Amino acid sequence: MVSHHDDFSPELGTVLALDNVPVELPVARVGSRVLAAFLDYLVLLVVLIVWTVAVFFLARGLGLRPGWGVAAWLIGAFAIDYGYFAVQEIVFDGRTVGKRVFGLRVVARDGAAAGNGALLVRNLVRTIDVLVGVLLMALDPLSRRLGDRLAGTLVVHQRPTAAEVVLVRLPAGWGAAETRLVESFLRRAPELEAEARVTLGRRLERWVDERAPGFLPGIPGPDPMPRLWRGFREGG
Amino acid sequence: MDYARFVALRRPLWDAFEADAAAARRARDLSYAQIEDLALRYRQVLHDHAWARARFPGTGAAQRLLRLAVLGGTVLQREEQESFSLVRFFFHRFPAAVSVHLPWIGVALGLFLVTGLLGIAVAVYEPGVAVAMLGSERVADLHQGRLWTDSLTTTMPPSVSSSFIATNNMSVALTAWAGGALVGLGSLWVAMFNGFMLGAVFGITARYSMAAELATFVVAHGPLELTLIIVCAGAGLGIGVAILRADELPRSVTVPRAAQEALVVLLGCLPWFVLLGIVEGFLSPDPDIPFAWKALLGVALEICFLSPLALGLITRAPGVPRSQELRR
Repeated sequence: MVSHHDDFSPELGTVLALDNVPVELPVARVGSRVLAAFLDYLVLLVVLIVWTVAVFFLARGLGLRPGWGVAAWLIGAFAIDYGYFAVQEIVFDGRTVGKRVFGLRVVARDGAAAGNGALLVRNLVRTIDVLVGVLLMALDPLSRRLGDRLAGTLVVHQRPTAAEVVLVRLPAGWGAAETRLVESFLRRAPELEAEARVTLGRRLERWVDERAPGFLPGIPGPDPMPRLWRGFREGG
Repeated sequence: MDYARFVALRRPLWDAFEADAAAARRARDLSYAQIEDLALRYRQVLHDHAWARARFPGTGAAQRLLRLAVLGGTVLQREEQESFSLVRFFFHRFPAAVSVHLPWIGVALGLFLVTGLLGIAVAVYEPGVAVAMLGSERVADLHQGRLWTDSLTTTMPPSVSSSFIATNNMSVALTAWAGGALVGLGSLWVAMFNGFMLGAVFGITARYSMAAELATFVVAHGPLELTLIIVCAGAGLGIGVAILRADELPRSVTVPRAAQEALVVLLGCLPWFVLLGIVEGFLSPDPDIPFAWKALLGVALEICFLSPLALGLITRAPGVPRSQELRR
């Protein structure tokens, strides 16, 4: 089951986790994934160049016969080529350098951490995905390339892990929409600039006072945050 | 029940579940009682999540309960963590995965043999193929009674040819495996192309009465090398069949499961290519090693690869369903 919500950015894809719990994941779309891959291939190229130079100087420094240097280079280049993505994703919890820069992460299809086997599988078919992956990602609602389909993985935007704010006290008759509004503001308030926080806080304060007079405690001062915080989170 | 009351009543349960589930996630082993207790509270969290999602969608409580549901699912469906053992892998896990793929390995072998015979026939009855496949210089060498493999020892050091051969063969095996993602067509192509090439090369050398020399070159590394490529192609075909086959479960479940099994087959094959690279780079081109010794080495390598497989298949516990066996 897949759905889209145009009022969110980035787009959310709904997948079913264990026990059919619908989980909305901020699925990474083809643009950010291509950019991350492009950066990764640039880094891979740099790593290969560094490996080449390192082998050259090591072989000279250790006085190796010419053949052994070339042999070491070949094996190393093969390992870097096939291992660059898979090893990073296994070691760094589904992230490569490119994915880290663009805030992406590989997860299992149910939103849990992807297993090592799945991360290996999705990268072993990369040679085919270089040819068809972009098209498949563009056509798929969950932006999966061939490797993702084979491994049962998704690439998602890494959200900042700010803890949810759960209100413990509400005016009588308030429903989900009002609750969501206040919780959303209180959760985001610490990230706002002071001026914006005070301005928006005052608007919210007035909005609450109009609908539920006397609900918020009477705390004097220019900053509305203590009043809002005590009113909704500490029981007035 | 209003939102504030719901949160006040149920929050202690959520807090306790989050702490215990996070601790269980970090723990290496959990007792049965711990799992049972966690599963019971996970059900309560699921119940609360369903209620909050229906009554208070998008609120902090609904978001927190969703996070707890995913956390609980992750902890409870975590597979048993076993330390990796090479012996267990090569004697149990790898044979079990190969046994699943035996029909498709058989298909790959059959196609390899058929295209091999076709290659011999084409090379014998259509001499122009010799030049097209080998190039005029190599055919000229054959005219003069020399195999192109002789130059392996003169044009590049064995260390280089050895590492080149090993990485090249691994690439072929990876292509045969990954080709399964193209509904098995890539795997079929690798099996058939290699069969045709081998047959054609033998056919060409036979025309110049050099087949025995070629056999001397390939006998040490060839049998196992081809076995590995055919096994990897069979694993790739397994993926292709999983993509095509309609099952009771959706393909989003069956295809990743098949790919994981095929991955075990690939991982069991890849290390052998390193050994084969050394044999092909250092021993196979050596004219001082007689045919009999090379043949003995070829047979020994094949036995080394196949015997753990055979042992693993024979000693598999009777009566244990294959699906359960694979989870070990």
